[in-house]
Amino acid sequence: MNRKIRVTVNGTARAVEVPTYRTLLDCLRNDLGLTGSKEGCGVGVCGACTVLLDGKMISSCIALAVSADGHEVTTVEGLAGDERLHPVQQAFIDAGGFQCGICTPGQVVSAKALLDANPNPSDAEIREWMLGNLCRCTGYYKIIESIRAAAQRSRA
Amino acid sequence: MAHRIIGKPIGRVDGTEKVSGAARYSGDVSVPGLIWGKALRSPLPHARIARIDVTRAKALPGVLAVLTAKDLPGILVGRRMFDMPLLARERVRFIGEKVAVVAAADPDVAEEATTLIDVEYEDLPAVIDPEAATVAGAPVVHDDPGAYEGAPAERPHANVQSVLRFKLGDVQAGFREAARTFEHTFRTQLAHQGYLEPHAGVVAIDEDGRVQVWASNKMPFRLKELLSHALQLPQEKIRVNLTPIGGDFGGKGSLMDLPLAYHLARVTGRPVKMVMRYAEELMAGNPRHPSVITLRTGVSRDGQIVARSVRALFNSGAYAAFKPAPSVSLGGASMGAGVYRIPNLLIESFCVYTNNIPCGHARSPGEPQMVFAEESHMDMIARELALDPAEFRRRNLLRDGDHLANGHHLEHVRAGDTLEAALKASEYSEPKPGPWIGRGMAMTHRHIGVGFTNAVVRLGTDGRVTLRIALPDTGTGAHLVLRQVVAEVLGVAMDDVEIELATTDDFATDSGVGGSRVTHTGGRAAYHAAEKLKAQIEAEAAKLGVPADSLAAIARAAAREGRTLEASHFYDAKAHGAVTSFTAQVAEVAVDPQTGQVTVRRFTTTHDVGTVINPLGHQGQIEGGLIQGLGFALMEEIKTEEGRISTLSLGDVKLPTIQDIPPLTTVILEDPVGPGPFNAKAIGEGSISAVAPAIANAVADACGARILDLPITAEKVYFALKEKERRP
Repeated sequence: MNRKIRVTVNGTARAVEVPTYRTLLDCLRNDLGLTGSKEGCGVGVCGACTVLLDGKMISSCIALAVSADGHEVTTVEGLAGDERLHPVQQAFIDAGGFQCGICTPGQVVSAKALLDANPNPSDAEIREWMLGNLCRCTGYYKIIESIRAAAQRSRA
Repeated sequence: MAHRIIGKPIGRVDGTEKVSGAARYSGDVSVPGLIWGKALRSPLPHARIARIDVTRAKALPGVLAVLTAKDLPGILVGRRMFDMPLLARERVRFIGEKVAVVAAADPDVAEEATTLIDVEYEDLPAVIDPEAATVAGAPVVHDDPGAYEGAPAERPHANVQSVLRFKLGDVQAGFREAARTFEHTFRTQLAHQGYLEPHAGVVAIDEDGRVQVWASNKMPFRLKELLSHALQLPQEKIRVNLTPIGGDFGGKGSLMDLPLAYHLARVTGRPVKMVMRYAEELMAGNPRHPSVITLRTGVSRDGQIVARSVRALFNSGAYAAFKPAPSVSLGGASMGAGVYRIPNLLIESFCVYTNNIPCGHARSPGEPQMVFAEESHMDMIARELALDPAEFRRRNLLRDGDHLANGHHLEHVRAGDTLEAALKASEYSEPKPGPWIGRGMAMTHRHIGVGFTNAVVRLGTDGRVTLRIALPDTGTGAHLVLRQVVAEVLGVAMDDVEIELATTDDFATDSGVGGSRVTHTGGRAAYHAAEKLKAQIEAEAAKLGVPADSLAAIARAAAREGRTLEASHFYDAKAHGAVTSFTAQVAEVAVDPQTGQVTVRRFTTTHDVGTVINPLGHQGQIEGGLIQGLGFALMEEIKTEEGRISTLSLGDVKLPTIQDIPPLTTVILEDPVGPGPFNAKAIGEGSISAVAPAIANAVADACGARILDLPITAEKVYFALKEKERRP
């Protein structure tokens, strides 16, 4: 069964018809062409598909597209301004917070949500918040440094 | 010599695409008319396929094709030994083997169709355990493995894929000299590389009949050769287009689903994408081999190793196809000699067929397994001899002029310096802060990789420089390193050097990424190409009478004469040199006596390296490898029950999270003697292998429990403590 949904994605109103079983991730990637969000584990544990639904982090690989009907979705493609990267994105570049980059869309979306909720997190708070975003390349040390640097930059 | 750009911690200037979601990995590639392929996999470890009925699947609306083995040529594929069918033919040999494949425009429809294929199986006796596989009368996984293309000649049992031996001196005579002899057996688990990008690929047949491929594969030219063989097409009919790769760690070098995507594209006339689900990765990827390793060491009265024999059994699963080495084996077996001078040595390593998931290469193939066994064994011997484990190692370390197990002689040996630096930085000899806390060390070394790489460097009329390579970005930061090399040689800013990715049409061959090679071979190719371009620029400048740094003017002058200033270099390093890189690591752990839980309180890693080209990326490689080593030591495991994977989600195989990482001290001992550009060595595989034995040795030091099989879970430590209470 198909349903027509209306979703505001990265500030733009979109209307799309999807089968009711379609995940939000597949809708974003295949129906709307926003391939920034990635499917890693496919079962909601790795965080590569993290997007914000009305500002709250969710795993879009285990959310149905129809559940986003009438809501706002922010993906990694929506973080940067016209000319400038979001401070979190810039910090991940400067501090070596990624290597292969496949988990990075989810990492930067989660980190943005963290700094929105807590602009000055301790290392313990960073670790607590980022627990749901796996990274196999960096060993996480430089992800923590990146988020610290982004917090500093946002305060400056 | 002071460098301008080499040695500077330059951030990932290539990173905007990755942090903004714009980077297009192979799973993100979209071409007009794209459809999806999905595979049906065997639910049984060993069975005869009696019948396959695809009627119901074909009838599902939206299904465009269903293929089984009878629709495909009987070709066998592999990387070195060609023993794997494209789809199971008459017989399945592991749970997860592909039996049929479906194409549909909607991936969910394709997946649903796989559930409508009716397969009738007749069970065959399966062999799951590698030790049971090599006894007389064991069920045979392949009837005649010697007949396969690329099969090694030596075959002591039909279930043996390959035998690899390393020999120094006379091991029997050596043991006769020994005052004491020690023997221990270790086991390591099945473990996935853990990249978060499952295998993905797109195959499109264009109007000219050429096969266009986008794939998560780090060796594009080898992929083209292997596809040419698998598809029975001339190589020039195939083009591999490079995409970023979402993590490799040794696992992204095979054909995986690409031949099936091609055949679906052929029969439907549409481009086909196949992306494995992570559950498929865990049941049918090409993970790290589990092992059973026995070491026997003879020691003289003064604590010198006089002889060692090592027997390693690697459970290779149902096919040898994923192993790329000419030996069809794992080079890491040579680490049975550790970092020690052993005059009389025999290492015998067997890769064994069983009805399990076929294994492949994973970051430093075979080494984390062998180094865990070897370095645990060293500590156990030291304790028996009542010697400090550091002192026992000191007495036996490799020195200049010594030989490795593979016969290579060594120079610039800094095993001792590396060990002492690790002991100092970790405060190894200081009193421990409390009970149930222990310290353990381990050492290893890793070669600097070899291979052949192309580089073309071109000066644009805007004065900017383009470096053209065919090395996919697997995330190691290699592209950044190569840009630094070019910028340094040409005296331009980093931002003035950009990478242009070639395809397999553009060079004759290239060994791609892997084996700790890229900084060396790619770096040297870029270095020499840049040197050649620099000479051209200087000659042009002299001709024009302008300074050699007037790059734009020089390029424009040449352009007016119809010339492009461009230089290329093909760098080919065939043999490993006499230099290696040593690692020494110290773990400090706390063991909870109530639960057996191990907490790593701090970790020290010390590396003997060449010139560090980018300290930020270099440290990133150390940290990433180290945490993979930590996962291998303490938590990661693909569990199997009678050949069935019982951990089919990433949540169950337990990759380390951000909460699992210990406080880390890194010591870098820079020694500019490597074969790479500016005397660089390699770092990508240096930090992973010694972590598990360092932790195992620390656990033994903390509580007396010696864990001989990985991972070191709380349950194992708890029961080892209980056992000690019962039999102190």
